[in-house]
Amino acid sequence: MSVLPSTRIYEGTRIPQPVPTILEVDPEKHRLEDILRVNFGPNHPSTHGVLRLVVDLDGETVAGIRAVIGYLHTGFEKNMEHKSWWKSVTYAPRIDYVSFHANELLYVLAIEKLLGIEVPRRATWTRMAMAELNRIHSHLVWLGTSALELGAISLFWYCFDDRDQILDLFEMAGGTRMHTRYVQVGGIAEDLPPDFTSEARKFCESMPKSVDEYEAILDRNAIWLERTQGVGLLSSDDALALAQSGPMLRSTGVDWDLRRDMPYLAYDEVEFDVPVYCGGDVYDRYRVHMDEMRESVRIVRQCLDRLDEMDGEPWIADDRKVVLPPRHELHTSMESLIHHFKIVTEGFRVPAGEVYVAIESPRGENGCYLVSDGGARPWRVKFRAPSFAALQATATIVQGLLIADLIAAGGSLDPVMGDADR
Amino acid sequence: MTAYASVPGVVETRESFGETTLVVDPARLVEACTALRDEHGFNFLSDIAAADYLGWGEQEVAGYIGTNAGRDIHVPGSQGLARVPPPKPKRFSVSYHLLRVNDDPARLRVQVWLDDGESVASVLPVWPAADWFEREAFDMMGIRFEGHANLMRILMPEDWEGHPLRKDYPLGGEPVRFSDED
Amino acid sequence: MAKGGTELAVRKQLPVVSGRPLAKAGLQSERVLWPDRGPGVFEREVEEIEDALLLTTVEKAVAWAQSNSMWPDTFGLACCAIEMMSIVSSRYDIARFGMERFSSSPRQADLLIVSGRVTHKMAPPLRQVYDQMLEPKWVIAMGACASSGGMFNNYTILQGVDKIVPVDIHVPGCPPRPEALMEGIVRLHEKIRGGVPPAYEIRGVAE
Repeated sequence: MSVLPSTRIYEGTRIPQPVPTILEVDPEKHRLEDILRVNFGPNHPSTHGVLRLVVDLDGETVAGIRAVIGYLHTGFEKNMEHKSWWKSVTYAPRIDYVSFHANELLYVLAIEKLLGIEVPRRATWTRMAMAELNRIHSHLVWLGTSALELGAISLFWYCFDDRDQILDLFEMAGGTRMHTRYVQVGGIAEDLPPDFTSEARKFCESMPKSVDEYEAILDRNAIWLERTQGVGLLSSDDALALAQSGPMLRSTGVDWDLRRDMPYLAYDEVEFDVPVYCGGDVYDRYRVHMDEMRESVRIVRQCLDRLDEMDGEPWIADDRKVVLPPRHELHTSMESLIHHFKIVTEGFRVPAGEVYVAIESPRGENGCYLVSDGGARPWRVKFRAPSFAALQATATIVQGLLIADLIAAGGSLDPVMGDADR
Repeated sequence: MTAYASVPGVVETRESFGETTLVVDPARLVEACTALRDEHGFNFLSDIAAADYLGWGEQEVAGYIGTNAGRDIHVPGSQGLARVPPPKPKRFSVSYHLLRVNDDPARLRVQVWLDDGESVASVLPVWPAADWFEREAFDMMGIRFEGHANLMRILMPEDWEGHPLRKDYPLGGEPVRFSDED
Repeated sequence: MAKGGTELAVRKQLPVVSGRPLAKAGLQSERVLWPDRGPGVFEREVEEIEDALLLTTVEKAVAWAQSNSMWPDTFGLACCAIEMMSIVSSRYDIARFGMERFSSSPRQADLLIVSGRVTHKMAPPLRQVYDQMLEPKWVIAMGACASSGGMFNNYTILQGVDKIVPVDIHVPGCPPRPEALMEGIVRLHEKIRGGVPPAYEIRGVAE
């Protein structure tokens, strides 16, 4: 659980002054007449979404950069303030749409913290299995699209094929491929189907072999190594100062993972390692992602074993003030009918207070600051988006890079614009 | 609670739901944050969240609140009666969520309270990560941060008027037609 | 169910919905799932238009060429973009329809699949990209957010991308399954081969 000593990736700090997120052209290094301002507009071939980079180029070298976001600002937080607690959960997965389960889980954990409700262990372990499957899904999308941008186009098809298998599992449990809204306040919406664990086990057998395949394609590929090693350097001090988390932070040598250091769900009951690398470049971030995929498969296997033991247990809490009663009771019990009516029409109420809950999403620390006034709707929901923080590091990591390296570095930040803009 | 007694500028300390909140005087915010970063080891600024409490407590909350924890038959007024949450000191709160990334991890919330039009010092010198978080708080809530070198709108278009997440800003959108009338 | 549908189509056990070439080839879009139902509203309307327009052989050939090799533009915005990427992947292969060449440059693209929520800040770039495309050009509004604003009826989301660009096909869903998007694309192809002009000729383009 220790933090590795700060590694000497570079001396001092490279965070630009006075504004940490704007790299100004240095008149000593570049002649100002040579500078060409190019707009990597919101619509561009890189599949990271609507990120706009205003880049000052001296030939092919990046002399200045400024990231402009907001092209996908959806007003989630304002919309969620106008919906009941039940309905507002539907908005959450669409924020970070690649790791959708992480967002749902985060928001529901925050509500449950305010409520003080106890979640049955079958639901906790299911949520954990889904969260790790979602982590693999997110890393596969990252790998597929990053490799596509750097020219390793075939990896796109390999990764997305595996991703379809994960989405089949999500569809089996939650009914739809993405945005399953499977997490419910008090547990999970419905019990896992009977053959879920066997199908998931088959996936767990094939996934490590797929990761081996990807590494075989990339790890000794001279072009990949040339394009990713030494590119996009970020030291551990700068990473912490810029609030980087997740693979960005772990690639700089800081051994920090919320699942292990501040555990939530049942992460303290599973065994997994946290990959940490000390190079601070794109190659190390790639290695962190690959190793995390393997560790996630390990966690999923352990969750599936425990879920098999818990077969038949309740999957949602029993508190009828918050959770809908089972439908067969509505025919016989008056109290259940009234509870059902109250929950469906007005919605349940959450005690007044404020909480901040953070989980380790595939991108880093995803946090939710939730304020309730005791009513049927949230008062204020703020999501701490890991991509928002990651994009702040753009100006620091692109110093001295060429345009082609800019693409690699920008991809390694793993930004999802829905997350950054909310 | 006494662990943070040495932090300058702390007006109040609250513990709830397992979290510690230090309410700090806005004039001494940078001092407090520097002390927390240097002496207490909070090297990671997780989030800066602004909240607008206009209209807080005007809607009474009737009926059962949430779970068993909200109902105590021995506490009068916790079942079935209208309850109003305790009022807030000022209209806006800005919460700085801090994290200590080392062998003794801890979370902390530093909170300042502001009225409409009041500004607070920027913590950019303490944590460079505050850059975009403060811009977002300005964009969404209209809170000005003194000393921020680039306080521009970040999520809304640059010529947008109004601050969307304020409670007096309408949700917007269009009325939805459901039937087949023209 | 989808697996059974393709098997039936492969074995050509589907009732022939109409005498049109597309229907004989088995392309009946949603009728694949309900083989005992007759042509749907869409098929009937396209047939009526085809009869009314009386395309010449040359025009039919041009329409066949246009629909068989339509190049989409990479306009992935949000969650629907992830499902759009998955139709490029090997399971829902869009290359069968000749559409695997996603063009980042709008000048070389025929089809603009607006996949995701469009904010007011993003609307001018969207319009600019649409204007840069060369005619003939088609627009698919993929998903609920592009069609109508989706679940986000608020200050920042454009309530339907057809406010700024003329849309040919709206694909519902949040996000639409890759099969749903493919049905939308297939219907677009049927419209083109039937002779229906692109939306900017029918609806006009807002300035």
